[in-house]
Amino acid sequence: MASKEVLIIGGGIAGMQAALDLGEMGIKVHLVEKNPSIGGKMAQLDKTFPTNDCTI
Amino acid sequence: MKEQEPSDIRIGVFVCDCGSNIAGYLDMKELVEYSKTLPHVAFVQENLYTCSEGGINEIKVAIPRENLNRVVVASCTPRTHEPLFQSACEEAGLNPYLFEMANIRDQCSWVHMRDREKGTERAKAQIGMAVAKAAQLKALSRIQLGLSHRAVVIGGGVSGMSAAMALGNMGYEVDLVEKQDRLGGLLNDLNTILPANEPPSRLVNDLVGRLEENPKVAIHTKAVVKKAEGYVGNYVVTISEDGTEVKVKTGVIVVAVGARVLKPEGLFGYDGKHVVTHFELEAMMRQGATEAKYVAIIQCVGSRCAERTYCSRICCMTAVKNAILLKEANPETKVTIFYRDMQMYGVENEDMFRRSKELGVRYVTFDPEKPPVVEADHVKVHHARMGKEITVPADLVVLSTPLIAQEDVGEISTMLKVPVNENGWFLEGHVKLKPLDFATDGVYLCGNARFPSTIREAIAQGLGAASRAAGVLSKEALFTSGIVADINADTCCGCLGCVQVCPYGAINYFEDRGVCQVNKVLCKGCGGCAATCPSSSARLDGFSNQQIYAQIEQALAG
Amino acid sequence: MLAYSEVTEFSGEVGNFRAKVHRKARYVDASRCTACGACAEKCPTKVPNEFNFGLDERKAIYKDYAQGIPSVYTIDPNTCKVLQGGKCGVCAKVCQAKAVDYEQKDSDVELNVAAVIVSTGYELFDATQIPEYGYGRIPNVISSLEMERLLSAGGPTKGHLSRPSAIRGEVRLKELEKLVKKAQKAEDQTQVEKLQKEQQWLEEHIHKCHTAKKLGFIQCVGSRDFRFHKYCSSYCCMHSIKEAIIAREHEQETQSYIFYMDLRTVGKGFEEYKVRGANVSGLKYIRGRVAEVTQDADLNPVVSYEDTEQRRVVSMTLDMVILANACSPSLGIVKLSELLGLELEENKFVKTHPNRPLDTNVPGIFTCGCAQGPLDIPESVAQASSAAARAAEVVMTGGRALAV
Repeated sequence: MASKEVLIIGGGIAGMQAALDLGEMGIKVHLVEKNPSIGGKMAQLDKTFPTNDCTI
Repeated sequence: MKEQEPSDIRIGVFVCDCGSNIAGYLDMKELVEYSKTLPHVAFVQENLYTCSEGGINEIKVAIPRENLNRVVVASCTPRTHEPLFQSACEEAGLNPYLFEMANIRDQCSWVHMRDREKGTERAKAQIGMAVAKAAQLKALSRIQLGLSHRAVVIGGGVSGMSAAMALGNMGYEVDLVEKQDRLGGLLNDLNTILPANEPPSRLVNDLVGRLEENPKVAIHTKAVVKKAEGYVGNYVVTISEDGTEVKVKTGVIVVAVGARVLKPEGLFGYDGKHVVTHFELEAMMRQGATEAKYVAIIQCVGSRCAERTYCSRICCMTAVKNAILLKEANPETKVTIFYRDMQMYGVENEDMFRRSKELGVRYVTFDPEKPPVVEADHVKVHHARMGKEITVPADLVVLSTPLIAQEDVGEISTMLKVPVNENGWFLEGHVKLKPLDFATDGVYLCGNARFPSTIREAIAQGLGAASRAAGVLSKEALFTSGIVADINADTCCGCLGCVQVCPYGAINYFEDRGVCQVNKVLCKGCGGCAATCPSSSARLDGFSNQQIYAQIEQALAG
Repeated sequence: MLAYSEVTEFSGEVGNFRAKVHRKARYVDASRCTACGACAEKCPTKVPNEFNFGLDERKAIYKDYAQGIPSVYTIDPNTCKVLQGGKCGVCAKVCQAKAVDYEQKDSDVELNVAAVIVSTGYELFDATQIPEYGYGRIPNVISSLEMERLLSAGGPTKGHLSRPSAIRGEVRLKELEKLVKKAQKAEDQTQVEKLQKEQQWLEEHIHKCHTAKKLGFIQCVGSRDFRFHKYCSSYCCMHSIKEAIIAREHEQETQSYIFYMDLRTVGKGFEEYKVRGANVSGLKYIRGRVAEVTQDADLNPVVSYEDTEQRRVVSMTLDMVILANACSPSLGIVKLSELLGLELEENKFVKTHPNRPLDTNVPGIFTCGCAQGPLDIPESVAQASSAAARAAEVVMTGGRALAV
């Protein structure tokens, strides 16, 4: 029997977005992140160009 | 529903300590005692964590026990916790819109950490306002909508084909609509592509072959979308194919209309023969190698200038690619690229850039204030590093012109109610975080219609747009939020003020009746219309004038 | 969500992969912790905060950042007194939710999945490898991410652009105060004088130039450099421009210089942003590669570079230098690629084909974001969605990997 779940390795912006999209499709996702919090480098950024929006 | 008499209103207030986040800085006892004095408040409770299982349970138990018909939670931010408390109300049989939150953490205890007394006063005012509004709340309902589990993809270039392929593979019916007589878009006219190092026909034929085999995908060529009516989940799209019109129902629409190459009329002596675009050069090279011994390539022709402010992303790599192909066809050919900045970002492009230099392609920078001058058999330019003018022989000049938006983006933009920017590129929901979504639900974006892209990027964006669209299509049904606007047709004077401010294209004007009407499915409850309407005909459920006035009066009274 | 975890075993094939995930003990019960923060407030053990690159301190029980998800505290076993065999237990005492559990053990989770997405991101290039730029040796030469933390309202300086020499100087002054008292007690007059001299110099130094106003951004640090990474890291030009613009927003007197080879502004709105940076924020773009950064007596970094447009070698004294560190492949990728059987390209990014941008050599394993090469945020987000589409195809077709 094939599994219906997906494993994502890395919880930065790319991993989180992939998890959100799959979740939206009703697919169960396991997001594995080596650090205590997800967010990756993006969480360390202050604001982003070109709109200077905040990142979190 | 029968209006409740004011005397029937029984409000329960739950004040949260948030561990020490709130209780550490505010006088909780005082907040509880104050809450008890507020009108209609029938029950007050302090929780260590209202959001914990225990806290939620206390709300659920208190509603029937205390006969509560409104709930206020004074705690953290509704952004993260409102849905949780609302569902607790719902489970206890209370309409979730008879709930109100006061953010006494982010907006009070975290701000006034150093002044317990004043912070507590402020939290009291916030709770008072929430209670005043709660007394005015009305039960609202979410509307269930139908959902057509199909997609229409407009544009059969590489991004549109990729989107259609992914949606088809996921099991959704797809109509792929292409204006030309065959799929492939810009790729059909290109010479060898790098770094894949293959003719583009290989990629196109592969995609077309598998799309044709896919029973879920219907390909329409020589076809355009004439009309699109409806909203997310429920569009009716009129496709005109080779003169005949068909109407298809669809849940989502993917915009993959691509872009076209700027023809540099009047620039650098462009004549289509000795001074050509890369597009024309590639057509020549497909017929066989060019005769030219000295080729000069000029970058940023018609881009990064006052008229077209943007950098077109892919022209530098196109120039380097063609320089490499020219050198490989004939190593004796002298190729010089005149540039401002070589935009060879990433791993593959920088590799290509380096390889071109190894093959002997020459690079000369120019200052946009002193651009190169094309003359009979040479190009003259001021060489900044040598500090003087140099002359480079050229029997063929190639102009690197940008991609520009399709001619019909205006029509598509109006038809689908999605915006384009000043350069005609479709404008995504958020430049960083929602690159493939529009602000309008149910419409998605990919490829050159968004912004010039490489083949790699166009494929990824096509698949990505399919993923975003599948997020809607995979649902069984769609629901609106209860927080939506409504316009009173009896008092609306049809001034269109609301239509202009609505960012979601959710308001339609009915000329025959001279009134505006809200499409509750598209409405996101921002309240722009209600704030703009000069006759107070537009109102936002859950944020009515009456409710907001009640809050203001309470704030001023306290 | 399995944060603070790593994949340790992997087998199977598309539609039916098996993975073992090792979950490190947090020593905090995630189901009880409410992230109230009382534990960290009372924890007596201070350590340098790696999230802010050591520009400030955190406690042994900590959370990476206030809004971090999952919203759970973690005890650092390398510094916690109890876990190091000592006495303390303060956090367990103050925790009202009774979430602290010093006995918690690492655990393993077995997963059965149809598809895998590798989104392991990147590592910031370690600029100490380029000694001529002085990173790690010259205090006022910092990395691009350190600059982010300095500019952040939630960072160690609450968004004030203090020079690291001043930040560290203030810490040292506090130390000196204690040392002076100690020396005075011991009646060691030469030591007192020596320390007081240092104190005086530091006070003057901090007073003279506390805020960085004249900034130099050096591009291509470790990128487009044959000694390290020959590729271009894609996003750094825009990143530096953004930092320079924000610095100017924080402090109107800020003057920034950006030293570059090519300014790569290829994204939507990027070129316009660059032009606005010059016109509105007064950024000066200087074409030329910086050869060396030295330091003067006031700890000001001095950059020497060839101004290719002026055709001469010049030097410039600045308050602070910000390096545009390259996007290096993630450190764990080699090990992970061996575990998963993934092919890497020569730079150690996950290998993909230009016409199949999400597919690795293993059917059913996809990749996105900086794991497959340097990308900016919108491209990463777009790719993530497309990797999700590829994974969803596998799930929805009952475990078959289809061609793109």
